[in-house]
Amino acid sequence: MSVITLENIKKTYYLGDNTVNALRDVTLNVEEGEFVAITGPSGSGKSTLMHILGCLDRPTSGKYMLNGNDVSGLPMEALAEIRNRQIGFVFQGFNLLPRTTATENVEVPLLYSRPVLTSAERKDMALSALSSMGLADRVDHHPSQLSGGQQQRVAIARALVNNPAIILADEPTGNLDTKTSIEVMKLLQELRKEKGITIILITHEPEIAAYGTRIISMRDGLVVSDEANTPREDFDETRTAYKAEPVVAAAAVE
Amino acid sequence: MFTMLPVNLRLATRSLSRNPMRTLLTMLGIIIGVAAVLTMVALGTGARGTVEDEVASAGTNIVFVKSGNYTRGGDSVGIAAGRGAATTLIEADANAILDNIAGIRAVSPGLSLRTFISSNGENVFTRVLGIAVEFSDIYSWNMTSGRMLAPGAANEAVIGSTLAQTMFGGNAVGQEVELRGNTYTIVGITDSAIDDQPEILFVPWQTLQQSMDISHLDSITIAAEKAGETSRISGEVSVLLRARHGIESRDDVNFLAAQSGGGVEPDDFTVETQAAQALTKGLYTPAAAFALANLPKLDEVTLDEMANTLDRASNTMTALLASIAGVSLIVGGIGIMNIMLVSITERTREIGLRMATGARSADVAMQFLIEAVTLSVIGGCIGLILGLLSAKVIGWSLGWPASVSLTAMAMAIGIAATIGLIFGSYPARRASLLDPIDALRTE
Ligand SMILES: Nc1ncnc2c1ncn2[C@@H]1O[C@H](COP(=O)(O)OP(=O)(O)O)[C@@H](O)[C@H]1O
Ligand SMILES: [Mg+2]
Repeated sequence: MSVITLENIKKTYYLGDNTVNALRDVTLNVEEGEFVAITGPSGSGKSTLMHILGCLDRPTSGKYMLNGNDVSGLPMEALAEIRNRQIGFVFQGFNLLPRTTATENVEVPLLYSRPVLTSAERKDMALSALSSMGLADRVDHHPSQLSGGQQQRVAIARALVNNPAIILADEPTGNLDTKTSIEVMKLLQELRKEKGITIILITHEPEIAAYGTRIISMRDGLVVSDEANTPREDFDETRTAYKAEPVVAAAAVE
Repeated sequence: MFTMLPVNLRLATRSLSRNPMRTLLTMLGIIIGVAAVLTMVALGTGARGTVEDEVASAGTNIVFVKSGNYTRGGDSVGIAAGRGAATTLIEADANAILDNIAGIRAVSPGLSLRTFISSNGENVFTRVLGIAVEFSDIYSWNMTSGRMLAPGAANEAVIGSTLAQTMFGGNAVGQEVELRGNTYTIVGITDSAIDDQPEILFVPWQTLQQSMDISHLDSITIAAEKAGETSRISGEVSVLLRARHGIESRDDVNFLAAQSGGGVEPDDFTVETQAAQALTKGLYTPAAAFALANLPKLDEVTLDEMANTLDRASNTMTALLASIAGVSLIVGGIGIMNIMLVSITERTREIGLRMATGARSADVAMQFLIEAVTLSVIGGCIGLILGLLSAKVIGWSLGWPASVSLTAMAMAIGIAATIGLIFGSYPARRASLLDPIDALRTE
């Protein structure tokens, strides 16, 4: 079954007299359980596409079917509910709330669930999401007390906690060193395999894109290639020298 | 919407406790505003309460004539120095008042004395009042035991309830007390609670006058037939007594001017209504005495007029406090708005994240609105405590009772919450209108 169907999606930004065609004409179909890696140079429209897929933004024209429902014309309030139920976001900068425990960070999406959850239910769900990310012993830690990899795993737990159909990850390894990046990719692969969650991963690094089951390349707001891929299964960092310098983990939300 | 309340409250208190100093400074306006509101209400209702109490307890139909006048002692400088002594008030004046002035129910001559009285060899210092039998009618006495003085009986006494208790353990009727060489038999205990009457020994004024070897009176107590006539009666009493005492009658309006020129002979008596007496009680300072002595007609003021004056005074105070309160509340509100805008700028990414994970605009607005209201309500609570303290202090220094009802306290907190709502709504709306993509991109 198609989880995502995009038909002739266009997104145009108007900046004064200039118009920017961030997405020119994107047509795309994503099946349940796919791990789609979207690559392309900076400015090619990857993030714009992800915002539309994540219902954070609406296309200028075109049709977006999510789980069989046309969501391209829905009002923002309705999109908020779709984001809450069907979509989990993982960001490059983690976007965890500072001075807030891992559990409470993971609870954030649950605060906006309908029907309303009790605080006990929220806590249970957050704790089980955290332990599925191997963070059972870090539930009361604040982001500043966690490593970059642990912070990103808290963020993934937060994306998972509502049992979404899709996880959208925009450069999730951008702030992580090689070893941790591989760990995160391994976690995403497991989610796909074990829970059948559809994953859309945006990255400009081919080595990271190689973990997907399908690789889409974009350029100037268009899909220029779309190929099935045998996902890379080796998690041995010594064989991947694509990033020599560990990047300092970005601070949490300030 | 309200199911989010506990969560929002927790978020709010956490966010506010993160910057305690900033939070406190932001609340300052609200604190001062609420404290001023509360002080205002406390003193306002306190002042009104005083007037109402006096109306209730004193009635409005009694006029006092007292021997002497404030202006006597301070003639040379034109400043009152206390009620001057005079020995010109006599029984014939009392009879003349009763005979010549219409609308009078009863008159009682009076002699007042502070002295030792003895009973069963025990001396007690107390107040003694020489009265006529009409006195019980003037004050509508009931006797808790025994009876009122009998007409013509020279050596009977009536005792106030408190004094009866302290001297005789309540069993005063039949006891004998000695005073200035005379022995009086107590025939009754009065239940009166007016003024100092529970602590007074009442004896026939003629007997007291003889034993003191004087021929004048200290006072004449007059009961009007109808309440509300005291003003007219006191005016007529003044005219009558001036005539009887050979004092040039005068135009009240020109009185002050004439007196400061020293050209007019001052009165040797003072006419006061019960109202004026009751209301100036506790405000008795040289300045008040001066004002009482020198303001035309003030001695004849009715309870209504006095109540109005006190109301006006408390209205002035109320207006002052109200403007302080108004200004501080607005300043406080703007402070809250400002700090909420700062907070929203600082937390733009948090807002973006909440929106990305499903928060609707209304959820975001509610979060910040509750934070603003929490801020203002905490400020309101601090202001409440401060206001109660300041009402106590001001009330105490002015001799005004300061009463704060639960309603007033609830109102103060309500005002604080309203300020938070009003001034928090703009920042909350700003937060709710943020674009999640832009918000997430903010550094
Ligand atoms: N809010 C916006 N307003 C105007 N132009 C935008 C906006 N967002 C993105 N763009 C433009 O759209 C194009 C695609 O951007 P983006 O989707 O962020 O690319 P990528 O994520 O692949 O780097 C770029 O030229 C970018 O400048
Ligand atoms: Mg991008």
